[in-house]
Amino acid sequence: MNCAEASDGHDRPCDIEVRGLSRRFGTTVAVDGIDFRVGRGELFAFLGPNGAGKTTTINMLTGLIRPDAGEIRYHGERFDARRLQIKRLIGVVPQHNNLDRELTAAENLLIHGRLFGLHGAQLRQRIDSCLEFADLSSRRDTPAGKLSGGMQRKLVIARALLHQPEILFLDEPTVGLDPHSRRRMWAFLRRINRERHCTLFLTTHYIEEAEQLAERVLIIDRARIIAAGSPERLKRSAGHYVLDIYAAAEVRNEFFSDRAAALRRLEQLDSSVRIRETTLEDVFLQLTGKRIEA
Amino acid sequence: MMLHGARAIYLRETLLLRRKLVKTLLASAVSPALFLIAFGYGVGRGAQVGGVDYLTFLLPGLLTMSSMNQAYGIATEINISRFYFKVFEEYLLAPLPRWEIILGETWYGITKGLIPVLIIAGYSLLGGVALRFGVLFVAALLLHLAIFALLGFIAALSVKSHSDQATINAFLITPMMFLSGTFFPVEQMPQAIRIVAGLFPLTYSTRLIRATLTPAGAIDYSLFPILIGMLVVLFLIATRIVDRVEI
Repeated sequence: MNCAEASDGHDRPCDIEVRGLSRRFGTTVAVDGIDFRVGRGELFAFLGPNGAGKTTTINMLTGLIRPDAGEIRYHGERFDARRLQIKRLIGVVPQHNNLDRELTAAENLLIHGRLFGLHGAQLRQRIDSCLEFADLSSRRDTPAGKLSGGMQRKLVIARALLHQPEILFLDEPTVGLDPHSRRRMWAFLRRINRERHCTLFLTTHYIEEAEQLAERVLIIDRARIIAAGSPERLKRSAGHYVLDIYAAAEVRNEFFSDRAAALRRLEQLDSSVRIRETTLEDVFLQLTGKRIEA
Repeated sequence: MMLHGARAIYLRETLLLRRKLVKTLLASAVSPALFLIAFGYGVGRGAQVGGVDYLTFLLPGLLTMSSMNQAYGIATEINISRFYFKVFEEYLLAPLPRWEIILGETWYGITKGLIPVLIIAGYSLLGGVALRFGVLFVAALLLHLAIFALLGFIAALSVKSHSDQATINAFLITPMMFLSGTFFPVEQMPQAIRIVAGLFPLTYSTRLIRATLTPAGAIDYSLFPILIGMLVVLFLIATRIVDRVEI
């Protein structure tokens, strides 16, 4: 089996396959029959506004909630919360820093390791190596509650890596971080993908994050997938260049496949105009008529 | 390693307990001391209940009630971990059968419930009340603590919010404390109260623990299978709930 479709043309073995996945909460449809695949080693982003269904999808993929319909397969094997061998392959970084604040950084890792069946010298060595990888060795005996927001985030990621998962889920990994910490976090995530050969599945509502990090993006809105592909391909589909036309109180956009055409149009316009390259925000705007980070 | 999940959960809970040990010790010491002063030395001074002086009657009741409070108290901790800090997710994500979560938490509830037992045993020595701490007492106590730790676990996983937890405490735990024979024999109550008391597990564990602790107390051995039956039923309920629980 390969993930040719999933990987935008690159043949890769498939880590995750999702078919017809749905979940309701009361009368609200949170996820509505979505299908997608994630290739091995891929850096994959699930982009959408808050409330689109991203966290519900991750929760189903990790066994925290049950789907109403559809199926999830890891390496071709069907998954549910009782498939303990599959759970060993998964690491999860939730949206909130769910650490035991009164326990030290090392103790938080110790408990996680024990929950995953690690113990003795192997566990001690993994704790040291994860703290070092996350640049937290000097904070090993600091209570987690006393670490900065960025350090807590790194500790949660280090914890998720402790049992050496093949697939790491990150739900809004940089939410609440300042711009500088966010960029450092992106570098850290790329390192995880590169050095640990870990498939990264992240959700985000930050356009820049998806563009900077992901090899492939799935855009979700109102519980449904509305577009999929590499950031480049998605942007190409909208047109390479966009004119922001400032008319009265609103900004109107016009899209062009080449710069020359955009410049020709610009010369015809009387109002104030800006020319720029398209972003995933424009893709979302074209598809839904609204902005993602609004 | 056998039961690695239950052990990990127990380790986490006891590491956290160590951080708040002084607070837990004080909470376990103060409330029974106040009851002892108010009821034992105040209201019940010189009184006889069921053929023994009131203090000998009261101390086993206080021991049972206080240990219940601590064992059941894991409900609040699980609740905070589930709704506030969301650390409970770590248990649900880990590759362990979910009944190991019940086992780890129950084991912790038992440990926590032993704290007031030691304190009240100290009070009995100080007050010169001779109690009989034998094997049957230990068996009855472990059953009692496991039952209330399981009840706490079930309550924590059944509620939808932190305030629901307070409602359960107000409508179940507080009435149980006062109507299950801690302070006076259930037999002295009106018929209607006796029927309600018959629904509370604390009524049975108080009766059994009191009999095993009181010198020359007549032990009703049929209470053991009743408590074991409750334990099994509660464990099955807990298994069903934990299998269905979602974050």
